[in-house]
Amino acid sequence: MFKHRGLSLAVAVFCGSVAAAQSPSLPAGAAQAKVTTACMECHESRIILQQRLSKVVWAKEVDKMVKWGALVDPADQDRFVDYLSANFPADKPAEPAVRTASEKKK
Amino acid sequence: MILRRDFLKGASRAIVAAGAISPWLAWAADDSVAVAGKDGMILRSYRFLDLEMPPEYANSWITPVQHFFVRNHMHEPSTLDAGDWRLSIGGEVENPLTLSLADLRKIESHTVTNTLECAGNGRGLYQPHVPGVQWQKGAVGTGRFAGPRLKDLLQRTGLKPTGKHVMFHGLDEVPGKVPPFIRSIPIEKAMDADTLVATQMNGAALTKHHGFPARALVPGWVGAASCKWLTEIKVLDKEFDGNFMKPAYRMPNEPVKPGESVNPDATYPLTALAVKSLIASPSDGATLKKHGIQIHGAAWAGEADIARVDISTDSGAAWQQAQLGNDQAHYAWRLWSYNWKPNRAGEYVVMSRATDSQGRTQPQTAVWNPSGYLYNAIDRVKIHVQA
Repeated sequence: MFKHRGLSLAVAVFCGSVAAAQSPSLPAGAAQAKVTTACMECHESRIILQQRLSKVVWAKEVDKMVKWGALVDPADQDRFVDYLSANFPADKPAEPAVRTASEKKK
Repeated sequence: MILRRDFLKGASRAIVAAGAISPWLAWAADDSVAVAGKDGMILRSYRFLDLEMPPEYANSWITPVQHFFVRNHMHEPSTLDAGDWRLSIGGEVENPLTLSLADLRKIESHTVTNTLECAGNGRGLYQPHVPGVQWQKGAVGTGRFAGPRLKDLLQRTGLKPTGKHVMFHGLDEVPGKVPPFIRSIPIEKAMDADTLVATQMNGAALTKHHGFPARALVPGWVGAASCKWLTEIKVLDKEFDGNFMKPAYRMPNEPVKPGESVNPDATYPLTALAVKSLIASPSDGATLKKHGIQIHGAAWAGEADIARVDISTDSGAAWQQAQLGNDQAHYAWRLWSYNWKPNRAGEYVVMSRATDSQGRTQPQTAVWNPSGYLYNAIDRVKIHVQA
């Protein structure tokens, strides 16, 4: 019913959200590279950096993401949970938020 | 996301300069991030794009599009062609319909000024923390939405008596094996005269981030009901059965202890928003001179009206009634203000507490739930008053 027909005028007017942008890296650690590869397939790092969760809740999140298609070797799943819960535990201070550029300041 | 180095360097200098005055200090400027059509928003995530309105922009009855929050569960559609776009209406109807944007524009348009709030607004303020976008105060805004009434479209199809719920499906691009973003609303809300298929926002065509070319607009309800990039409406004989109806977007039937998990069968689907207020100014952490401080912000209550807003400048010991703004519409927030003359310098906690026409009042502590929905505790900011 809805046909994709490449870029149209509407898109030229309204697009602008997708291109390379700098995301902070995930913290160093044994699983950093694999977590980055698996999660950044869909997300960017900020959604992980802002979480503050217990290990039990991290384990549920990783389970959910695997069910939803995250490519995680079953042998690595515990290491993902260890890495995420060690770096983004419930009691860590909140991540400072950033603002997008202001268009008024041209 | 676009990279515009020269402009951005200028922007970040300007933000640093503004920071010297006060509230911007709380925020780090990220000179790599600009989002077309958006201005100075809190970046929760750019993929999927989730942008939060800084509280100080709750100073305008209609939120300009550049300050309106964005919540996406998935990728925005990579291509949208107004000429090719079609809206199908089917399911429990006598005569299924397919409409083009030109067809939609021929149908009488209705305007609804609505405060749209993400169900998860304030999730980041719950303790213990719960997973998800860590919204604080600004996944909310008020827009003037216009388009045909949903009921006018449904009536053209001849609803069958078996039609009890209406499902919306948009063009979000689904990553991996994630369930598609499909939700439904009960037929009574779908047939309400203020429920729209909106094509306009604040007097212009919807922008891509807000659902161009058409979105559902389910006023007074959690934002997730108002499906963007709408392309399919289906009348069902029961509530849609899918992830974004269950287990997502539900509240426990009974309050649970913070941190406890809940059986999805002991939950109910979110509908209308809670009573809530937001302090736009002063900003949290601000330093102000003591000669006359205007405390102002916005308050909303979903399908109810705001009855009053009370302000405390002494951490909640005493409360004074704020003045409500003149602009009002059934589903829209009310602006409010209170002129305060502190009699001494020092540290203060300023609070706002809204009460609505159903007698609901904001609680001291919001009701914790495992997904962090409907946070509506009394708003508060800490400020420093100088002599």
